[in-house]
Amino acid sequence: MEHPAALALTSLTVGYFVLAGCDVGLGMLMPHLARTAGDRRRLVAAIAPYFLGTEVWLVATVGMMVGLFPEVESRLPAAVVLLVLLPGWLSRDAGLWLRSRSRTAAWRHACDTAVVVGSWALAVGLGLVLADLLTGGRPGPATVFYTLTTVLLLALRGAAFGAERLVPPEHAAGRAESADAAARLTRTLARGGVVATALATGAAFLPGAGPERLLPAAAGAAVLVAVLAVASGLSGPRWSGTTSALAVAIPPLVTALSAGLPTPAAPPQTLALVGTTLLPLVPVMAVGQIWLYRLSRRPASTPGFFA
Amino acid sequence: MVDDPLLLARLQFALTAGTHYLFVAFTLGLAPFLLFGQLSATLRGDAGRMLGVRFWGGLYVVNYGMGVLSGIVMELQLATGWKGLNEVFGYTFGAPLAVETMGAFFLESTFLGLWVFGWDRMGRWTHLSCLAVVTATAYASAFWVLVANGFLRHPSGIRMQDGTAVLTNPAALLAFGHVTVSALLLGGLVTAAVSAYHLSRGHDPHGIYRRGVHSGLAVITAAALPTVALGGSQHVLDQRPPPASGLTYSATEIARIEDAYGATATAAVFGHLGYAVMVLSWLLVVGVAGVGAVVWLLGGLRRWRWFHWTLVFSPVLAFTASIGGWVYRETDRQPWAVTHLLTTADARTEMSAGAAAASALLFTLAFLVLATVTYRLLVRFARRGPYGGPLAPPTEHTEHTDGTQPPEPVL
Repeated sequence: MEHPAALALTSLTVGYFVLAGCDVGLGMLMPHLARTAGDRRRLVAAIAPYFLGTEVWLVATVGMMVGLFPEVESRLPAAVVLLVLLPGWLSRDAGLWLRSRSRTAAWRHACDTAVVVGSWALAVGLGLVLADLLTGGRPGPATVFYTLTTVLLLALRGAAFGAERLVPPEHAAGRAESADAAARLTRTLARGGVVATALATGAAFLPGAGPERLLPAAAGAAVLVAVLAVASGLSGPRWSGTTSALAVAIPPLVTALSAGLPTPAAPPQTLALVGTTLLPLVPVMAVGQIWLYRLSRRPASTPGFFA
Repeated sequence: MVDDPLLLARLQFALTAGTHYLFVAFTLGLAPFLLFGQLSATLRGDAGRMLGVRFWGGLYVVNYGMGVLSGIVMELQLATGWKGLNEVFGYTFGAPLAVETMGAFFLESTFLGLWVFGWDRMGRWTHLSCLAVVTATAYASAFWVLVANGFLRHPSGIRMQDGTAVLTNPAALLAFGHVTVSALLLGGLVTAAVSAYHLSRGHDPHGIYRRGVHSGLAVITAAALPTVALGGSQHVLDQRPPPASGLTYSATEIARIEDAYGATATAAVFGHLGYAVMVLSWLLVVGVAGVGAVVWLLGGLRRWRWFHWTLVFSPVLAFTASIGGWVYRETDRQPWAVTHLLTTADARTEMSAGAAAASALLFTLAFLVLATVTYRLLVRFARRGPYGGPLAPPTEHTEHTDGTQPPEPVL
């Protein structure tokens, strides 16, 4: 983290977890939150414009890793990426892109299934990658608890997003069951998150399972428990947008700070090439992201491209 | 064959890259048609032309989605399946890819989202400028990917001692020119084919297909010769020694590695076949363009059905040429991943035979399904016309599954 490029890489990863947690998490919770065809359409309409703008964060993260941190990238568990994360992504995206291309119930059911299964695989894959980096590639009970924590936090982020976005438009007489169910779920998931964090912290004391630098990991766990405590009952779903964003940012942050990753600075010529090309684009990237977020703040009520 | 993880990994990557390029070429080829179509519609305030933009835009977006999926699979495969390449040349080969993903693709995806969801919600010039960003970044993506690919073929600017050498690498610039004009050729063929299909059925709402067949044929005719000129000029590089030869292997070792590979390796045979397919397809396209020019002069472009049906099947030629060209380009470099510096065998990540086979099987199946579904959707939406596409304007007949009313249009 000594280097600005390492800071940028960490920011991209954290940004991805905070933003994409919304659509990945909501996709995971679809069977629980959306019971009717209309509910499912509204849920996909909440995810769909949003995922296009959030998944580019992961692509940018991987691109930056390939370009500036080949050594970090060579530490990624190839089998997890190729057999869990990537198929999950493929399945979820295919479901979202293809869902409204046909009107038959069987087609939509197949696409919804692809979205749900893909979202779970993607969440588990992300959790496994972080766990692998934290344990230095030694699988064990700690891997399970680290992954479980990440998966629960992603689901929590999705539930908080759902509580906000699944509220139907005002002129469609008040059926907000999905949003209410999502709001209730934030408490359950936050409590589950506290338990998972405690288990993960305990597992860190197992021989060879802990992160290399303990202080940031312990601080991360403490903040996580505090944030989840707020989300799990003190104020409930009211603050869940903020608390879930804070919570889901912690696993990638703890990984970046405490996994002892090799981060030698890229050669100055490489940094100059990447820096001079990208810096002028950063404002455009920011404008585009904020604009897309504002545009899709309310899911469209008319059928659109995705739902 | 299944016992050889290197061959499996190469086949898997070739399949991913080949499928991805089909979607990419379509995107690159159609984007300028969309941009000029929307510019023209905006300047004239012509609703009929704008309906045409919605029609072609629907095909573009369906295709783009699958391009993103296959591109991401490719990026992550490159990152995890070919670690040797990244360990040795990560900073040179990876830097252009980092710029591509962060600068170009990031912007392209974000602004395409704005373009799709901003329809009827933005001012018409603002909406047009979103499409302009999408088009510019699509070509910027192609440029940066070819900078990375050009380095593999003709490694100049080694270890980034000179960043401009990587950017002005003739293997990258000539390939970018070739890809650009050949993609326009493909876009022209697709536009002309879809338009001809509707014209042959006497179906031409708002003159969308009349304009389509004219502009499509004009672009095919204009792009045919530059395609072969820029493609052929890359052969000049074959006469020059690779810039960084001798840095990792001595001349004797290089000769030994190349002799062991041999000129009759399966990949080399595939390469010659790819080259033949590319050239033959191009010759047939030139034939179509020539006949088309005559038909246009004789005034039969909108009426002669035999020529319409010739056009309908002609995009196949552009797609076979694209695949053939990539197979040729990538096999031509073998046994090297980076010419004279790193062998393909050394570039691969060590993986158990089981994991390699599982990964190859999984992605082969997934890509077969995706490519088939996308192809069928594109054909279906192309046949339905402007009122049945994915970006068709909402009408009073549009179903509202949750019983809500459409919102008031903004702006």
